[in-house]
Amino acid sequence: MALSGMRGLSVFISDVRNCQNKEQERLRVDKELGNVRTRFKNEKGLSPYEKKKYVWKMLYIYMLGYDVDFGHMEAVSLISAPKYPEKQVGYIVTACLLNENHDFLRLAINTVRNDIIGRNETFQCLALTLVGNIGGREFAESLAADVQKLLISSSCRPLVRKKAALCLLRLYRKNPDVVNVDGWADRMAQLLDERDLGVLTSSMSLLVALVSNNHEAYWSCLPKCVKTLERLARNQDIPQEYTYYGIPSPWLQVKTMRALQYFPTVEDPNTRRSLFEVLQRILMGTDVVKNVNKNNASHAVLFEALALVMHLDAEKEMMSQCVALLGKFIAVREPNIRYLGLENMTRMLMVTDVQDIIKRHQAQIITSLKDPDISIRRRALDLLYGMCDVSNAKDIVEELLQYLSSADFAMREELSLKAAILAEKFAPDLSWYVDVILQLIDKAGDFVSDDIWFRVVQFVTNNEDLQSYAAAKAREYLNKPAIHETMVKVSAYILGEYGHLLARRPGYSPKELFTIIHEKHPTVSTSTIPILLSSYAKILMHTQPPEPELQNQIWTIFNKYESCIDVEIQQRAAEYFALSRKGASLMDILAEMPKFPERQSALIRKAEDAEVDTAEQSAIKLRAQQQMSTALVVTDQRPPNGMPAQPSIGPLSLVKVPSETVDSNPGDQGLTHPNGVVYKEDPQPPSQDIIGDLLGTLSIEGPPGAVAQSPQSATYEAEGAPSAADAAALVPVGEESGSVQPIGNINERFYALCLKDSGVLYEDPNIQIGIKAEWRAHQGRLVLFLGNKNTASLGSVQALILPPTHLKMELSLVPETIPPRAQVQCPLEVMNLRPSRDVAVLDFSYKFGPTMVNVKLRLPAVLNKFLQPITVSPEEFFPQWRSLSGPPLKLQEVVRGVRPLPLPEMANLFNTYRLTVCPGLDPNPNNLVASTTFYSETTRAMLCLVRIETDPADRTQLRMTVASGDPTLTFELKEFIKEQLVSIPTAPQRPQGPAAPPPPVAPASQDPGALLAGLL
Amino acid sequence: MIKAVMVMNTQGKPRLTKFYEFLVRKRQTQFSLFFFLPCLIRAENVSNFMEADSIFGPDSRLVYKHYATLYFVFVFDSSENELAMLDLIQVFVETLDKCFRNVCELDIVFNYSKLHTILDEIIFGGQVLETSSAEVMKVVEEISRQESASNSIGLVTKTVSGWRNR
Repeated sequence: MALSGMRGLSVFISDVRNCQNKEQERLRVDKELGNVRTRFKNEKGLSPYEKKKYVWKMLYIYMLGYDVDFGHMEAVSLISAPKYPEKQVGYIVTACLLNENHDFLRLAINTVRNDIIGRNETFQCLALTLVGNIGGREFAESLAADVQKLLISSSCRPLVRKKAALCLLRLYRKNPDVVNVDGWADRMAQLLDERDLGVLTSSMSLLVALVSNNHEAYWSCLPKCVKTLERLARNQDIPQEYTYYGIPSPWLQVKTMRALQYFPTVEDPNTRRSLFEVLQRILMGTDVVKNVNKNNASHAVLFEALALVMHLDAEKEMMSQCVALLGKFIAVREPNIRYLGLENMTRMLMVTDVQDIIKRHQAQIITSLKDPDISIRRRALDLLYGMCDVSNAKDIVEELLQYLSSADFAMREELSLKAAILAEKFAPDLSWYVDVILQLIDKAGDFVSDDIWFRVVQFVTNNEDLQSYAAAKAREYLNKPAIHETMVKVSAYILGEYGHLLARRPGYSPKELFTIIHEKHPTVSTSTIPILLSSYAKILMHTQPPEPELQNQIWTIFNKYESCIDVEIQQRAAEYFALSRKGASLMDILAEMPKFPERQSALIRKAEDAEVDTAEQSAIKLRAQQQMSTALVVTDQRPPNGMPAQPSIGPLSLVKVPSETVDSNPGDQGLTHPNGVVYKEDPQPPSQDIIGDLLGTLSIEGPPGAVAQSPQSATYEAEGAPSAADAAALVPVGEESGSVQPIGNINERFYALCLKDSGVLYEDPNIQIGIKAEWRAHQGRLVLFLGNKNTASLGSVQALILPPTHLKMELSLVPETIPPRAQVQCPLEVMNLRPSRDVAVLDFSYKFGPTMVNVKLRLPAVLNKFLQPITVSPEEFFPQWRSLSGPPLKLQEVVRGVRPLPLPEMANLFNTYRLTVCPGLDPNPNNLVASTTFYSETTRAMLCLVRIETDPADRTQLRMTVASGDPTLTFELKEFIKEQLVSIPTAPQRPQGPAAPPPPVAPASQDPGALLAGLL
Repeated sequence: MIKAVMVMNTQGKPRLTKFYEFLVRKRQTQFSLFFFLPCLIRAENVSNFMEADSIFGPDSRLVYKHYATLYFVFVFDSSENELAMLDLIQVFVETLDKCFRNVCELDIVFNYSKLHTILDEIIFGGQVLETSSAEVMKVVEEISRQESASNSIGLVTKTVSGWRNR
């Protein structure tokens, strides 16, 4: 059957099919694209039929994976064709080729609207489908009311109404501020009485969207949902075509139960009773049958019922019935059911205290680790990880270790990370923990990330009881003939540091230790040699009185590496050699490593990153994370050597001293500064990772291009030399700056853009830089509009982004010249990696005539752009609030010098920053409670809660409490809110002298980029 | 919501792709390969679920079903029920079967416009629109009638391109 008689298209498709290889295919496609392009150019001679044919070809080529960057206009123009076939093609192809931000779509709005309000039902359907697939803000603004009318119109056919329901859903999801749903509760309730199951299914989806945003308004729909569910479960009045393999519309059953899960509870006892009757019937009445499709459908309903039962917090009896069912599922033959059984068991773990019942299935879950299906093995691993606690940690971790040798490569890294974390969290004793990690390195060295061995070193360093045990273990592993390089690293490090504690045992004399370590020397790579050198130096230091023979051996090695091409090794060798000749002073310099400051395990953080977070589960997960971090094995908090205890999360005190700094004043710093030894001793890459690891998420690095320097010098820089750090200057740099003055206040423009998504960022007599931004979870897309206001072109245009470390930014190519009166659009992709208040800077320059203009502009990719408003009910709020107890997850501060604001205005301010104020949660009318969700790559979606207590007598001070599941996020958000509450300085603020304190609003980070942004 | 639908053959050639959630083009083109390679090594009698996070970001699930020379793949987020999605694939395929009478890959290759039409009647903006293949068929037949009706009218008014001036 040919495609609606389009012969040319069929010929093209079979040509492509007949291509022998990719190269031929590309040639054929290129030829066709060239052909289509020329035909479109002389559009006059094109009949609608031809146009239609070419547009289909474009879509086909696009689907094959080739880029089609022309012809969009032709596709869009077909939408306004009067005849159905052309119109249909226009609508379908436009929806596939264009995305909602495409400018051409605006051209079609009028036609689309005419089709929607017109009388022709097929046209209505086409138009609704387009809007439902790619309708953006403008569509919402001009069409939402019409779509709402269609949905409730009694004269429309179900076919149109069900599409209208889903179209409205899309418009509402994308732009809840534009689509007015006030008073829709009653209409929704009416829609749920619908007899047509197609319309009812769509309406139920719409209800889910509305309820998930604000369940309070839709209580009246709850009994209707239960009625619908009853009608389906009893198979009353269900037309044959909606019965799928004997089951009354499983999709509608599932959707209805989904909708019910958005209500916090079912209060009315009658409704609750009938709901539980239905659920009970589903739980009991589902059997495994032969027909696969029937089986799938009935289990789809069953799993949804399980989820609803969990949500409703049923009585313990029903819960254990659910676990029993799941226990049955994870052992059945059907792999899909096994998969979902494991997944739902993991979910169950989070919500209720049925862990003990789940533990009974531990053996079966462990068997699932050997399932032929990797998807199932992954779920089993997740479940084992989730159900592990002190009581079963030993069993589970040992199972994981055993499984490690046979596991797929794709899973080994995750597996070893999880085993390491469980060992750390639930170790019955620390020597067991050391055993596990060493076994892990032994069995799967390639998959053991550096974090894992850094962590074991930290533990051993911080626990004196563990040191000699670890040294003995390390010695044992070194005896093995072939060991992984990571094992060499960790053993050499531990023996160098603590080998001397065992000097009296046979086989542990300095000489023997040296020999056994040095045996591995020929097998290791350059990254390990610095660690070996450090070990040798330490062994030498511990050999008292000195043994000339050993000394000579080690000196020979140092000598050999003094001419090493690797600068790190060379420097170490040279320094150790010089130091070891200084006799007694060697003891001070190479003293034992100080203890590491206590902080969150980098491993746990990493695992959290690796976990998939779903929007719905985030609150539950938050609680789970909370439980994890309190279960951490805590070691001695007090660092020795009088080193000030560094708070684990104050980015203030964490300064990374880059090796360059050490290099620049060789020796001295290390010799005189007692703590300098930390850096002095291991300034090579891996050990710098230890330092970096210490700094954790706060690892501070300069933005690319900016000079990484110690904080003080960065401050000097900002004051003086026009280096990269001089981005502080807002006004154009150089002499010419006087000739081109910006129009309007740059600061005000920036602050305005922090609150809205489009506007002017910068303007002067020559150029206007506009910005339009769109934010989705942790990603954003900004478009810079560079408009030349002159009748002459602007040359040497350059735009550089100086991103802070927490943002990943990609700016598309900026043309070197902007033609007269032209506007250039440069998309900029932004990804938020971590919570931080640092601001990205755009370094923009252009040349107009002889004048070079350079401006540095802050980009409004600020913390609040990654927030998404969320309303939290008291039932959700209070358990969360309580579970996040105390620092570092919950921080409190009394803020003084607040810009006095009446409470409603403050609430408005919060709402504009996308922190939803939840009225009624705090009984005290002077207090404000707000909630929001923060998105970043590391935290995923994370719920944040804020409480402000104001003093009616003194509006300039207040007490603020911020809580979230991530310490950094809590801190950053607190500081961010503080900045907004304390009056924002509008004039650029610059330190007066080198010693001037950093500006009060952004003292937190020493990142040069942040420093700049703070100064702006 | 459903994030994407893909039909591809067992040689890894895409036969239909449709994205309901914005995805950069590079990721779109990677999708077929991303699915295809791990699928090759999957044994018989394993589950229909696979990981999809690396292409579609967190909170993505993938379910696929294998029919003769074709794979049907749906990607969706946690707001959808996994098995219900698997059922929906079945509805899609049953509808195609009714439409083409024992559908085979060739039907799909040469009628991919029709495939789009059918898909648009089952999934709408990433939401389940219709689950009854009988209902979908009614609509598709109606559309076919419209097409042929206006084609015959088209012969009369072919030269009139006045629509451009509307």
